Amino acid sequence: MQLCLFLGCNTPAIRPDVERAIRATMPVLGIDLVDADNYVCCPAFGSFPSADEEAWLATSGWNLSIAEEKGCDFVVQCGSCYSSLRMGREHLMHNAAMMNRVNELLDPTGRKVTGKSGVRHVSEVLYREVGPEKIASHLKKSLEGLHGIVQYPCHTLFPSEVVGFEDSARAPKGLRVLTEALGASVDGYSRELQCCGGAGGFMKSTPEQAIEFAQSKFDAILEETQADFIAVSCITCLMFMENVQNTINKKIGEERYKIPVFDYNQLLALCLGFDPKEVSSICNVPRDSVIDRLVPVHPA
Amino acid sequence: MDLQEASNKDLWKDIYKTGDLHFCFNCSTCVSGCPASHGDPPLLVRNLARLVILGLEEELLQEDTPWACVSCSKCEEMCPMDVKPFEMILAIRQWQSANDETRVPQAIVEIYKRGYTQAVGVNKELRESLGLPPLKTLTENIEQLELFREMLMKTKVVSENDYMFGE
Ligand code: SF4
Ligand code: SF4
Repeated sequence: MQLCLFLGCNTPAIRPDVERAIRATMPVLGIDLVDADNYVCCPAFGSFPSADEEAWLATSGWNLSIAEEKGCDFVVQCGSCYSSLRMGREHLMHNAAMMNRVNELLDPTGRKVTGKSGVRHVSEVLYREVGPEKIASHLKKSLEGLHGIVQYPCHTLFPSEVVGFEDSARAPKGLRVLTEALGASVDGYSRELQCCGGAGGFMKSTPEQAIEFAQSKFDAILEETQADFIAVSCITCLMFMENVQNTINKKIGEERYKIPVFDYNQLLALCLGFDPKEVSSICNVPRDSVIDRLVPVHPA
Repeated sequence: MDLQEASNKDLWKDIYKTGDLHFCFNCSTCVSGCPASHGDPPLLVRNLARLVILGLEEELLQEDTPWACVSCSKCEEMCPMDVKPFEMILAIRQWQSANDETRVPQAIVEIYKRGYTQAVGVNKELRESLGLPPLKTLTENIEQLELFREMLMKTKVVSENDYMFGE
């Protein structure tokens, strides 16, 4: 199967090792990736969607036209990009007048949008298209003996009508099943579905409260789980859940929160035998405690 | 406050034309799961819906709280009346941006100038050291970037605030 890789802004600019992990792992599992040349910002919810509906949807249309030209769906890791592209497409599909207007705007650029290409999240492709059995059968290393917790990106759960792929958005299973396929034990906890809080303006407008909100989640992780790592599948969750641990530690004057955070494709890449320096080197919470404990898998 | 005097009954038509807003029955479900409701001041989606329905323009124009939203869409999922509160938040931001240029998000200027909110594609050495191919970015494709800008220049927020988008 072929999918068009939509990278967004943060991944290629700040965490290109995540991009490397995605590009390395997906073809091994039968998903060929083509680049989205000349793509633009998704657009992020805090940009055009907060300023002007027409500019928002014209930008969505610009991006969607790229996948349409390649004749396949987009695959996206960033939660905001995924949700923005899905929502943009949804708006265009349900509003013929807006679809026409956007095509009028796109026309001089040589582009056209029809909505024929869909937008898929990388965790959905791995969960639904590839499946845990196939993943398990390719492993060279495993996370056996390690405990993890999973952070579902809100943007892949809500609103389930537009972005969802789980049987129930209130009881998602995808990331857990995928992480277990790598050999780890996944611990549940009371605040599993609590948003990381990292997107949008919460942290910018009231940092003190946003940090407290995040700390309530991390306290639950420490009290209720044996987590050696956190698996996410969204660039914002990844960066925020690392950085906020350091922020809280500074605030309390104690190194209490230091759980390594990985993008799921990074864990997958490590278990498929890729070089940690390429697929997992950029982080603000050290990851050696996990990388050093990978267990070689001997073919049966 | 004299609601008759101070209100614009048609405000909802300017902001959030879907009739759904009128189904809001004030239950506050949208608030109870909202991360930004923990802020100070809290983002209270239900109250914003009230301001729109009651037509309290002045109050709504002053509200900073819509910008604290993290876009998690939990409110959208949980609202029993399908008001689509997150879409309402975006609609309120759009309305504020249209009526007060200081609200226009800086991020749209960045996207206009280089296609992205971040400097995508400039970390060439790092990319190479990770074994990554060079990226074909819009920033470096002047011809496509110009077409993108010309397209945006035809939209209201960019044309009406064109002074923000100069070199
Ligand atoms: S959850 Fe829906 S119906 Fe309830 S207060 Fe919020 S917007 Fe209104
Ligand atoms: S989408 Fe925004 S308003 Fe709705 S629950 Fe999330 S943060 Fe709150």
